[in-house]
Amino acid sequence: MTANPAGRRPRLRSAATPWLFATPAIVLFTLFLIIPIGYAIYLSFRGFRIDGGGAFGRRVQTFVGFDNYLAALTDPEYVAGLGRVLLYGLFSIPSVLGLALLFALLLDTPRVRARGFTRTAIFLPYAVPGVIASLLWGFLYLPSTSPLNYLAKQLHAGPLDFFSFPTLYFSLANIALWSGVGFNMIIIFTSLRAIPTSIYEAARIDGASELQIAWRIKIPLVAPALVLTGLFSVIGTLQLYSEPATLRPMSTTISSTWVPLMKIYQEAFMNDNLGGAAAASVVLALGILVLSMLLLRFFQRRTFGDNA
Amino acid sequence: MTPPSPRPPRPGRRWTMAAALAVALTATVAACSSADTPSSGTPGTSGTEAAKGPVTLQVWTWNLKGNDPRAKAIIDKYHQENPNVTIKLSEVGGTADTASKLLAADQAGDTPDVAQVEYRGLPALVVAGVVKDITADVAALKSGIEPNIWALTTFNNQVYGVPQDIGPMMFTYRKDLFDKYGAKVPTTWAEYAKAAEQIHKKDPEAYIASFSAAQLEFFAAQAAQAGAQWWSNDGKAWKVGIDSEPSLKTADFWEDLVKRDLVKVEPLLTPEWNAQVNDGKLLSWAAAAWAPNVIHSVAPDTAGKWESAPLPQWTAGDPAVPFLGGSAFLVPAKSKHAKEAAAFAAWLGASDEGSKLQLSLDIYPGGNAGRQATLSHEPPKLMPQQKDFYQVADQVIKNTTIPVTWGPNVNVSQTAFGDALNKAALNKTSFREVYKATQQAVVADLQKSGYTVTK
Repeated sequence: MTANPAGRRPRLRSAATPWLFATPAIVLFTLFLIIPIGYAIYLSFRGFRIDGGGAFGRRVQTFVGFDNYLAALTDPEYVAGLGRVLLYGLFSIPSVLGLALLFALLLDTPRVRARGFTRTAIFLPYAVPGVIASLLWGFLYLPSTSPLNYLAKQLHAGPLDFFSFPTLYFSLANIALWSGVGFNMIIIFTSLRAIPTSIYEAARIDGASELQIAWRIKIPLVAPALVLTGLFSVIGTLQLYSEPATLRPMSTTISSTWVPLMKIYQEAFMNDNLGGAAAASVVLALGILVLSMLLLRFFQRRTFGDNA
Repeated sequence: MTPPSPRPPRPGRRWTMAAALAVALTATVAACSSADTPSSGTPGTSGTEAAKGPVTLQVWTWNLKGNDPRAKAIIDKYHQENPNVTIKLSEVGGTADTASKLLAADQAGDTPDVAQVEYRGLPALVVAGVVKDITADVAALKSGIEPNIWALTTFNNQVYGVPQDIGPMMFTYRKDLFDKYGAKVPTTWAEYAKAAEQIHKKDPEAYIASFSAAQLEFFAAQAAQAGAQWWSNDGKAWKVGIDSEPSLKTADFWEDLVKRDLVKVEPLLTPEWNAQVNDGKLLSWAAAAWAPNVIHSVAPDTAGKWESAPLPQWTAGDPAVPFLGGSAFLVPAKSKHAKEAAAFAAWLGASDEGSKLQLSLDIYPGGNAGRQATLSHEPPKLMPQQKDFYQVADQVIKNTTIPVTWGPNVNVSQTAFGDALNKAALNKTSFREVYKATQQAVVADLQKSGYTVTK
């Protein structure tokens, strides 16, 4: 800040004003984000060790250095879990974003009917909580309760197994698809509506078809929205939890440490190893941060080009 | 804080609102931090500040459900006899959920006064220091429960819980379908395999039972029946016997059944399992005396078609089995009314009156009086025609001579074992390797925590 002795008093006040406005946000942010993160980092260096000998010696929390980090990074299950979410992302992200973009473009065509109803209908599954959706799909997937399987049986097609590899990945992606498409479509659609119509008029005068307009004008112009939704999807994928965790008790193919977050939950609340869970969370968070920054940097250069 | 801006009305109002919000938030923080100060004082000793005035006991249990009139009748009875005590029931989930919530509650210094856990979950909580030693509190009612049942909650001669219900192991099966398919009710596991073959041959869609890898306790009981001890200790060091030869033999048995597709690899009590039990495609469940009530809750229409028999054996004629399932009431170390809590737990589990009342909840009481009362009790709703159900169960308990010790890290083995066994069952790979890997994981975890493990 440049010094200006004459205007010090008013300047100071105007400098303080934004801070005061931000106070509630800062207080909430500190209370519910900074402090818990700090505590998690503290916990990640702690572990339970036995105090006193004997078969029933008491466990006490002590400082264990980088033991927990070492355990997390060398745990084959944790690493395998990361591999599974990446494989899952390979299926789910393109299909969610592809469908979201398709629906947004269709809704944005000039002669579309019942736009409000359709938009709501596509968005509505987003309102169904992930756990409930997973339970419902669980019933639809299990051979004895599934109507799909009943139909297959009538057609003399063998019992469908939705939980075997690699179908399992599609079964899981399908659950997320319903809510993901609605949410992402709204973001892309909003971005489409912000494009000035004069551009389309110019294109039409030049003889462009709707398809060409969509392909050559709309998609390039909503690219920033696509990057944003893509980034959200990547983060959401790495944090995959409720779908596999809800389906786990129904299947034999989903292990209790199937994705990183399930592993973390397992450590924290089943194995009573808060330190290990905290360390694994920190590793996951750092991984997500680095990946998002790399993705953002990569796409920023391409989509925002000169403006960046 | 800086005084409000002199600028006129609207910003000023926002100012005060922001300030008010900030104050409100600080107040909340203060409230949060003050909430845990009283209890952080002297954990564990609070039970000594005795019964003056009325006491409210928070009880975490799934046996007594708050909205169940039968449970309410029991609580009303206790209130009548102890006018200064009020019992508040809540159900927080099964053993795993209760254990994790209890650990969190202990850290927050705000525990319930009584909590129910299955026997296998107790040692982990004891070594975590969240369970109170109630040896002295229950001494007066000690004779109400047999010593082999007290052994389930006693470690190093200290009592850490009052046994409530027990699970004498039994084989519950569809009598009608066993007869229809000409399968003999197995008395040995070899006969079990034969019956499995017979059933699956007669109806390719039907199986003698499901194979649920998540049921660690069942496989531990299988090994115990064969003479292995998964966990044992001499007071100083732990010994882990998951990969001992008798234990591995039981692994071979199940591997064979799974490979020959004679048991259905799938978890228990899923919508799928329930549907198949209802359809008569899963014909039995080797579990304990509590199994009929569980089956009745998911397949009430099949009542009258089931019967229970003693569990099959590895050696013909050997009647011994361990307990499977069942649960105890413990008193958390930080309970503020530990004395009253222990008194309530002991009344319900060990007193004549309490253990008899448990029978009204359709659970198998661990107390002597309750066990005696079962003999003149109606059979479970699933098998109203099997008049000797409780006589059979009573005989099983008399033969229940295999003590099972649970280690302080059962939870660690539970998931490692279940996941690996599921994988082996699906990929048709060696079950022995699963047992050996679990052994290694359990030993490594014990050693990491600092326990001595002997070979």
